[in-house]
This record gives sequence, structure tokens and C-alpha cells, in this order.
Amino acid sequence: MMPMWTKSGTKHAVTLLKVEDCHVLRYVSKEESGGKTSKLLVGGKNASPFSKSESTMEIFNEAGVPRKQKVTTFNVTDDALIKPGTPLYAAHFRPGQFVDVTAKTVGKGFQGVMKRWGFKGQPASHGQTKTHRRPGAISTNKAAKVYRGKKMPGKMGNIYRTSFGLKVWRINTKHNIIYVNGSVPGHKNCLVKVKDSKLPTYKDCNKNPPFPTFFADGDEELPEDLYDEDVFQFTDPSVTY
Amino acid sequence: FFTSSYRFSSDEKPGKFQPPPKPVIIDKQKQREERRFLSPEFIPPRGRTDPLKFFIERKDMIQRRKVFDIPEFYVGSVLAVTTADPYASGKTNRFVGICIQRGGKGLGATFVLRNVIEDQGVEICYDLYNPRIHAIEVLKLEKRLDDNLMYLRDALPEYSTFDMNMKPVSRSDHDEVPVNTLQVRMKPKPWSKRWERPKYNIKGIKFELPEKTMKEAKKWSQPWLEFDMLREYDTSKIEEKIWKEVSEELKK
Repeated sequence: MMPMWTKSGTKHAVTLLKVEDCHVLRYVSKEESGGKTSKLLVGGKNASPFSKSESTMEIFNEAGVPRKQKVTTFNVTDDALIKPGTPLYAAHFRPGQFVDVTAKTVGKGFQGVMKRWGFKGQPASHGQTKTHRRPGAISTNKAAKVYRGKKMPGKMGNIYRTSFGLKVWRINTKHNIIYVNGSVPGHKNCLVKVKDSKLPTYKDCNKNPPFPTFFADGDEELPEDLYDEDVFQFTDPSVTY
Repeated sequence: FFTSSYRFSSDEKPGKFQPPPKPVIIDKQKQREERRFLSPEFIPPRGRTDPLKFFIERKDMIQRRKVFDIPEFYVGSVLAVTTADPYASGKTNRFVGICIQRGGKGLGATFVLRNVIEDQGVEICYDLYNPRIHAIEVLKLEKRLDDNLMYLRDALPEYSTFDMNMKPVSRSDHDEVPVNTLQVRMKPKPWSKRWERPKYNIKGIKFELPEKTMKEAKKWSQPWLEFDMLREYDTSKIEEKIWKEVSEELKK
């Protein structure tokens, strides 16, 4: 995470996400998957092929791609299909777009009810006997049972969570880095899934994105850094009012 | 009163020629090059972050330094900072103060300036790479005995007062930055922190406390800390690499 300033002088915190060896693996049609739209399987970050069985390696061998550490699905409309085996780059996103980022949160292990669910606990003194961080009552008398889903101590974190509506401020095409506003779930160097935002306020935000994706062997030659119009670039002189 | 050697030089025999002693040339340029200062925010902290992130941050920092000059300064030097302020007349705001702390790494590096204005202590924390800063002038470049001068909050106000219209103290490009061995006198206790305790390791205070208090403070000393190998972080090689990178980029 890094600070970033806008042209008006306000400071924002920004998370850097690196796009590492992403390839499209397989196309799953609407009928096959049983959903509303067809799906594309995408894999990211190369890993060693020796510790996995032949059956799991089938997908990667078909696409002609080294084994990937993580495979995710994206729901795609029929006009945005990509051939399996094409690499995906950070230039797929452009500054000014809004993005949802999903990742597994930082694992906290087995945690008590105060940290996991934010319960108030009990006072530290005034006669409390061995009860300072306990949940207290877990149900009523009339119910005569404990409801399913009752908040209790247990393993916290290490689950998939999404941050919605994050603005893309800057893209580095040379190192494939996306600068995304605010914080993102997950620990440092964890695997992350970046999608176009599903929020209704940002439905019409993408003006001419690279469709279906940015092809590196195409005719377009992008500069090394793409900035949003509001971002203060360090080559400019200091901000004045 | 002539010695024998003088007699020889003023002798009629021209054969005994003694050449004049060789002049000692002090190459000031070489001395200036040997002294390097790498700003502490360039050194990456110990952690599991990808070094690519630090590389990219350093590129941005060097970009900013090419456009705007960030001078060399240490904790204990007096600086004057002019920032852009939308609500001030003339749209700029100038503050003079002594730097008491330099924190943060990378683009988020900060420094805190302290001054006492009309009997009110004022501390302002500035970002080094904030684009709203128009100028940073070093009025007095010096080091102090400590890295962190937070104890000036509990010291007598005369040690933190600096004139807002102070003139910069001229100094030629010497080799060493002067170390001010000033021992500061404190206000009576209670202080914001127990500065006499060994964990703060402060050398710049003249403790006028009774010996009993000083002896009791030593109870909290941790003499094993300096031998703890897991806490060692040798930055000399990293500094060399980064210094080369930064100086090459800045020369372009």
C-alpha cells in the first residue's frame, strides 16, 4: 500500500496489485455450466507441475499453459469470449474504472467471541468471577434451544471476502501493476480476483475499455504508466491554489 | 641566528641544491564525493514485501526529487517549510521549526517540526513527498545526540523556540555535519513519558533527578537486547545498492 496525491492536493491510500502470468484456461458454455451466462476459467501465477495428478493437469495441458496456482471462473457474455491460452495483462483495466476485489482474508485462527463478532464482554472488576470475555447468554428460555448460526467462538478469517467499488487510479504496463484505491482483503502477496464492479452507481463508468481484453501482440502501443486524469504525476511542478 | 642548514642554502656552492618541500594537495572534490547521505526513507524495512514494490516506489520518489529539491537534514536541524494553503492570504503558509522526528518509509515519509509561538508549543507533521510543499529550506543543519527529540515537549520552552524570520546559518561544504552536544534542562515532573528509563536511551537531557530515581529507572534496563541476533538488521549492503541507483538516476 502506498500514498497517492490528486491534482487538488488530497492524499489517498492505494493498494498495488500485480498481474502475474494470467492465462485463460477453458471456455464453459451456458448449457454446460447450467448458469445464465457462459463462463471462462482463468488461472493465475505459475506453479510447479510435479506435485499434481495427471487428471488435474489436463486443463493446463489442453490450453498449453504451465500449471497455475489458482483457477477462478468469470461469468462472461457471448460477445466477450476469449480463446483459451491467451495471456491476460494489467492493461485489461484502465484508470478511471471501478473494480471489485475478492480475496481470502487474513487468517486469525481460533478466536473468542469479542474479537470475532464484536461482543462487549463483561466488566473487568466489580465482582465478576472468571467472566470477562465470555458471550454470556446464548438463547432465551422460551426457545429451549440454540438457534442455528448463533455467534460463538471459532476459526476467524481465511474466508473469501470482496471490497466493492474500488477506483483504479493508475496502471503500470511494464510490470503489470494495478493501483487500486483503498484497502483490499488478504495478506501481503496473496492471490486476488479483480472484476468489473457490479454496483449500480458504476454501471456506466467504463468508457471504451479494451474489449474483449488487451492483446500484447496487437497494434496498440501503450506508455509505461497510465494515469487517471485526477492523479498528481511526480513530473509536474508542486500544487498551487 | 642561523642554523647550519641555512648556511648551506646561502653557500656559494651551487651543487648542493635542496628542492623545496612537496606541497600537500587536499583534493576537496574527492572528500566531497566520499561523504554520502542517503535519506533514511529510501532504506526498505524488514518484511515479506516484494522488492519490486520498493523499486517502483523509489522510481516515484526520484521523479519527485528531480522536480523538487529535498535537502539533506537530520533530526535536530532547523527547517522552514512553505506549503500551499487554499485558505491563507497569498495562498502559501510558512512554518519554521526544529525537526524532532523523521518517520515512515518510501513515499509516505514524514517529519515533525516543533516551535513555540506566543507561548504555545506547535508541532506540525509534514509529508516529504506531498506535492503541496513548495519549498524546504534548511536554516541550520546539525545533528543532536538522539534520533528522536520528543522529550522537547517536557523540556523548558526556550529549547524549542526559534524565530520565524530566522536567517539561514551559513556553512561551507565541510565533511562532517556538526553534532550539537546540548544537554537540555527539563520542566519538573510529571512528564509525558518517563524519559529517564533506559528504553528511550536519551543522551541529550541533563537529568536533575535524585539518584534514587535514576537507580530505580535502571531496573527496567534490558542489557540482553543489544546481543539479540534476531533484531539485527544490517543495512550497509542494501544502502550501497540503493545509493548507487539513486545517485545515477539523479545525475540524469
